[in-house]
Amino acid sequence: MSGLVRDLEGLLEARRVFAQQEDLLAYTNDATHRRVFPEAVVQPLTTSEVGKVLEYANRKRIPVVPRGAGTGLSGGATPVPGSLVLDMKRMRQILEVDQRNLTATLECGVVTQEFHKAVERLGLFYPPDPQSMSVCTIGGNVATRAGGPRGVKYGTTKDYVLGIEAVLPDGEVIHYGGKSVKMSSGYDLARLFTGSEGTLGVITKVTMKLLTLPPYRQSMVAVFGELDAAAETVSAIIAAGAVPSGLELLTKSSIETLEAFIPLGLPKDAEAFLLIELDGHEGKVHEDAGRIIAICEAHGVRETKIAQSAAEAERMWFARRALFPATARLAPNVLIEDATVNRTEVPTMVREIKAIAERLQITIGVSGHVGDGNLHPGILTDKSNPELMQRAEAAMGEIAKKALELGGTLSGEHGIGTLKAPYLEWEFGREGVQLMRRIKAAFDPNGIMNPGKIGAEWGGANV
Amino acid sequence: MYKIADFAKEINRCIQCNFCLQNCPVYLEDAVESSVARGRLNLIQALLVEKTLVATERAGELLNRCLLCTNCVQGCPSGIPVDDIVITARAELHKEYGFSLGMRFLLKQVVNRSTMTNLGGWAVSIAKRLNLAPDAIPHLVSKPFEQRYLTKIAAKGEVRGRVAYFIGCATNYLYPETGEAVVKVLTECGYEVIIPEDQHCCGIPALAHGEMEAAQDVVRWNAARFADLEVDAVITDCTSCGYMLKVKAAKTLPTDDPYQGKVEAVAKKVVEITEFINREGILSNLRDRIGDINGKMGEAGAASANVRSEIATAAEARQELAATGDSGASLKVTYHVPCHRAWSPNLVQAPRQLVPNLPDVQLVEMKEPQKCCGAGGSFFVDHESIASSIRGHKLEDILSTEADAVMTQCPACRYYLSQGLQEKVQVVHPVELLAQRITTR
Repeated sequence: MSGLVRDLEGLLEARRVFAQQEDLLAYTNDATHRRVFPEAVVQPLTTSEVGKVLEYANRKRIPVVPRGAGTGLSGGATPVPGSLVLDMKRMRQILEVDQRNLTATLECGVVTQEFHKAVERLGLFYPPDPQSMSVCTIGGNVATRAGGPRGVKYGTTKDYVLGIEAVLPDGEVIHYGGKSVKMSSGYDLARLFTGSEGTLGVITKVTMKLLTLPPYRQSMVAVFGELDAAAETVSAIIAAGAVPSGLELLTKSSIETLEAFIPLGLPKDAEAFLLIELDGHEGKVHEDAGRIIAICEAHGVRETKIAQSAAEAERMWFARRALFPATARLAPNVLIEDATVNRTEVPTMVREIKAIAERLQITIGVSGHVGDGNLHPGILTDKSNPELMQRAEAAMGEIAKKALELGGTLSGEHGIGTLKAPYLEWEFGREGVQLMRRIKAAFDPNGIMNPGKIGAEWGGANV
Repeated sequence: MYKIADFAKEINRCIQCNFCLQNCPVYLEDAVESSVARGRLNLIQALLVEKTLVATERAGELLNRCLLCTNCVQGCPSGIPVDDIVITARAELHKEYGFSLGMRFLLKQVVNRSTMTNLGGWAVSIAKRLNLAPDAIPHLVSKPFEQRYLTKIAAKGEVRGRVAYFIGCATNYLYPETGEAVVKVLTECGYEVIIPEDQHCCGIPALAHGEMEAAQDVVRWNAARFADLEVDAVITDCTSCGYMLKVKAAKTLPTDDPYQGKVEAVAKKVVEITEFINREGILSNLRDRIGDINGKMGEAGAASANVRSEIATAAEARQELAATGDSGASLKVTYHVPCHRAWSPNLVQAPRQLVPNLPDVQLVEMKEPQKCCGAGGSFFVDHESIASSIRGHKLEDILSTEADAVMTQCPACRYYLSQGLQEKVQVVHPVELLAQRITTR
């Protein structure tokens, strides 16, 4: 394999080519548990370097796995044997923030939170807020259609992509879209690359739509004695048209977990909590807050607590962001489900998840961005216990199936990756999957791009 | 005790979220995932727990390339003690593979302070000759702090209490003016100060280099000197000594070590000086005696001039600089927060709360006060190039505040920042700013 390293060092600086086992080990997984060693890792700095590497890999039929911050929860950035990992984090320039057109053009490796800061300094707003935003990259967000709590009001990454630059497996560079808000010409390749999880090519630059920053924000927590009541409250809030900019469900176990990491002073004997954020003009926010509190009261809320300062609100949301990692205190491994249903089905889905947990004798913490129907059941497991692991995976399958039965989708914002690839046909049928497979083959005839992701049998050079 | 078996479970709790990418100063420069906490934990697990990898030189390099700054630990939602685990791995790799660590030889001399007086200069010159530390190793003062004071210094005025003072190596050999300031503030505020004889290094440099036995020796030695003193507090002026005495000392010894009780007794009483000042509210006693640096400097100025005659050129130059910076205009000071801050809740606020009491001093915050400066104890000696690029961002931040001085409670930060700032901006311990403004009784 030294031949591979030599070749790669001919394409980009040697210090950006890694092939020692100690370095490769750090790239064997995303935030999921399965680990596979790649053959090498390269860190391109420019689109043209990406092109050179892809052209080479395509010629040699070497599988390529693009990677942002490796925070994915679906196995989408986990390498396949013999693969070359394209670590895109060095392409991290924000190229332009266009205040007059309300757009920004940036390289794929820009950290989402850095992007937030850069536009917010100018009074602009890029809403998508995946909970790993302190480290994850915009390229990864686009490739997985990442979402976050603000999805309930503002949609997810997919709703902000206006244009992309991407490199195809043969090294050709394509551009699609730009700053025009309207575009009705040709196939929407930007949309096609959005959510393609690295299976079609490598996204190198994106142009994103921006909004203006809401002048006022308020956060609150509503404490419920029963999970059902909290879930019902969610549907009622949405139906009343008081759309919050964040509407999160946390259950007893999540609160216990969080209090251990960042004490919020929430009661530990309550069953469910709604974390709510409203934004907009101050008067309107107060008015909506009043309506929401009334709805909560009508559903038997135990207490509501409004954040008294921006710092207190930030503390609440910081705690929420820490939820997934903090569950590590409960079990060695956690499978995070991402099934999403229509908002009216949230109470039903919550009950179904509880039933699945009981039936399979497994602990599942229910939390999630319930305001948009996106649940994140956390299935506690231990990869060193194969029997438990099997039940955990079975639970994942059952939750996915149930979500589809209720008219929902396999994934709201994490992507399919490898973890949900086996279920793809449940959602799209044979015909749907076949069409996707043909699209994949049209972009990537040799199947080098992120094989085995989205479709378990897609691609497979050297695999 | 730092044994990998004790940490296997902790490593396993890493949920691979990679949130540590945000906080690691080394990763932010290297941009490679093997250079961040998650990568290091996975590496340590593979090398030492699961033994699925055999270490090459690269493993040693990756594990040594950690500042032990604890920024990852402070931001880790799972609360994994990454620095403890890296320390342990260094010690075990050292045993198993015999990886040599740059400072070993030096450390043995430095840790045992009883031989230091003579060996210090010698060790430094040898280190230079071996090219271990071309220019980075600091100059030592000719007369260490501990030789300047008695072991018991009486309180002035009404007696409020009695404290012991732990002298860190940096105060002893590099910045005796910090020690003088600590003693002045405490005695002027009515505290009797006990300075036990024959104190040794706190042990954190030895620990950082995986020299477990050396660290254990000094932990026991110091515990024996401090545990039985009848004092209200054990004062330190160094955030890393404090971290060691408060948190790490107990972990350094086996759980059943006979010295554990003494270590615990000391740990309970350890307080950083500015935090002590705030906690005890002792400044209110002094209020009518804190002036600006010119107004009420009469006696204090004379006293410090006496002391100055004993200090070697380097320290003298620093004091001269401090004296010339204050021609009546107010002193703009910015605060660099040391990385070893999490062991005590108000460490980060205490110096900031001190400033409003100083009439001619004004605090200007830099953009990222908590960002690492790259010193990392002696990291900057072994890893010159990356340390200086980490420092580069910090210097930029400091300079953009247009402050006249930077205050920080970590002597390694102080030394390394002052090297970078040269004479443009002075670096001081916050307690010195206070001491300079107290009129003695």
